[in-house]
Amino acid sequence: MELARLPISASQRGKLISAGYTSLSSLSSLSPSTLAQDLKISDNEALEILRVVSQGSRLDKPDGSHAIVNGAQTAWDMLHEEESLKCITTSCVDLDDILGGGIKCKEVTEIGGVPGIGKTQLGIQLAVNVQIPVYYGGLGGKAIYIDTEGSFMLERALQIAKACIEDMSGNSDFLQKDFQSCQVKAQPKDFLQNIFYFRVCSYTEQIAMINYLDKFISEHKDVNVVIIDSVTFHFRQDFDDLALRTRLLSGMALKLMKLAKKFSLAVVLLNQVTTKHTEGSFQLTLALGDSWSHSCTNRVILYWNGDERYAYIDKSPSLRSASAPYSVTGKGIRTATSKCKRIKIM
Amino acid sequence: MGSLKSLECEYPIIDSDFQNFCASHGIFSVEDILIHDLYMLVAFAEQQSTSERLKQGITQILSIIDGQHQPWLNGMELLEDAQQNKQVLSTGCEGIDMLLQGGLCVGHLTELVGPSSSGKTQICLKVASGVATRYMGGVVFIDTGNSFSPLRIAHFINQIPDTIFKENILEKVMSQILCHSVFDIFAMLDVVHQLEYSLRSQVQTGADQVRLLIVDSISSLITPILGGSGSHGRALMISAGFLLKKLAHEHNLAVVVTNHMVGGEGGILKPALGESWKSIPHVRLLLSRDPGSSICHMSILKHSYMASGRAARFMI
Repeated sequence: MELARLPISASQRGKLISAGYTSLSSLSSLSPSTLAQDLKISDNEALEILRVVSQGSRLDKPDGSHAIVNGAQTAWDMLHEEESLKCITTSCVDLDDILGGGIKCKEVTEIGGVPGIGKTQLGIQLAVNVQIPVYYGGLGGKAIYIDTEGSFMLERALQIAKACIEDMSGNSDFLQKDFQSCQVKAQPKDFLQNIFYFRVCSYTEQIAMINYLDKFISEHKDVNVVIIDSVTFHFRQDFDDLALRTRLLSGMALKLMKLAKKFSLAVVLLNQVTTKHTEGSFQLTLALGDSWSHSCTNRVILYWNGDERYAYIDKSPSLRSASAPYSVTGKGIRTATSKCKRIKIM
Repeated sequence: MGSLKSLECEYPIIDSDFQNFCASHGIFSVEDILIHDLYMLVAFAEQQSTSERLKQGITQILSIIDGQHQPWLNGMELLEDAQQNKQVLSTGCEGIDMLLQGGLCVGHLTELVGPSSSGKTQICLKVASGVATRYMGGVVFIDTGNSFSPLRIAHFINQIPDTIFKENILEKVMSQILCHSVFDIFAMLDVVHQLEYSLRSQVQTGADQVRLLIVDSISSLITPILGGSGSHGRALMISAGFLLKKLAHEHNLAVVVTNHMVGGEGGILKPALGESWKSIPHVRLLLSRDPGSSICHMSILKHSYMASGRAARFMI
């Protein structure tokens, strides 16, 4: 039935069908007042329904060009577009290598690991690295940081920003670039100014926040990364209705995908781990269950290998599965050297 | 079909005179005609002064009703249609082709179900590049998770033998593959309707004809609306499934959808979307991958004419 494809409420659809309107063509040449009288609804509701119908029937006819489907792109065009998309570097050479240059824009990347492995550190590092100016090879954009656990530390962000600026000026001296504009040295405070920080305290706030992001990013077009730390926190405890949780999570995942595609930004979700009992053994897997594991484009798992921190690409449409070591230093995330040791808690 | 009033523009014979006549017998819509005694109606029409026009009007409505259903086909016509139009499309992967006795059936809805990172998207990309190269057919890829990777498609195309030697083949083949991102079920239904409209209205010859439609993944579109109060989520899911099957049959496409798995009883994984979805696809294939290796394992859960349980191993 044609009416099933219109995004109207079930009760409105029921009224339309019982009044005899079962196809789009029967509604197309109707005036709102006639419809309102027939269905016994308000004029505004009738206007709304007719607006949706006209949108639906307009989409039926592809416009002029011989595109089979409106809004579709050919793979050839996408290939060229992809070559011009930049990646956000993680400041660790090995990690950038396995990620194909860094965290990619237009994709949702999920990063998960045990507590203490450096997820928040990586999140803060990405929020700083996205602001690296274009002439240093970065994106020169802003970051949105949504904090659900309260683990964002201002002093640490300042420290990482300072180290990033030092690295940049160190590089520019080495390359002897002569830009007049970069003579004005960037301050760590400027970096902090470009991170939009939101703190959410419940799952309803989290969902409301994500719904609001569309409007926010339309007003701040230079945002290039959205980091959610961590996306699972409010959904893990005290959620009685698991079916509702699945619906909310999958709806949230679709909205994030849409944001990433629409505004060409990178969405980074930080996740926790849980144990799963499979085939007699306990395994560590990412939290939120099996259906959530399909809601990201790429997945990176951080784990301990002896005393070293490693990252492993678990899921990606174009990257090979590989591991790379990294380390967390005073300057932020950096390439691993053999001297880095895990601090043993006695 | 709606009220008689709405038919007036298309069929001028159903004018207000006719509508008044019908109204006097309590008939306001086409459904009412169906349940009314037609002989009585014709007899009453003959008593009126404008009996000829009224009888023409009744005949017109009956022909409209007749046009609503598919034409009757007998077994020989179906067999002819199957032999001429419904070929088998090779997937590009020998293991899968052997398992499916040739490959994907045109006219069938094939479902790939598997846990996360088991290779579903990779197989979809491989099949897309294979069909676009070997059969020079159009491919429409509906992507819900931003996982369409043009790089990977180019890689698969270059892997097919003989393509490296032909110049400009990459551009030609990749221009046949259309990718559209959708993020809710209504957008997907719109895209499928548009595709149906353009397939019906355009006369397509050989090279550009769309042969394959891939929806990756349909479960991420349906999960947010399934369950909860009211069954409109399930109704949407089933009507989407029927729409895809109808498109596959009438326009000779192969349709592939991917589904994920959820935990069932005892911790064993089962395909998502529930019991109602189980009977909708013609072919259901279960994928799994040994962790850390690139060898995939595929088994048949359901097939129109093959025994289920057959399995194969292959590498992507």
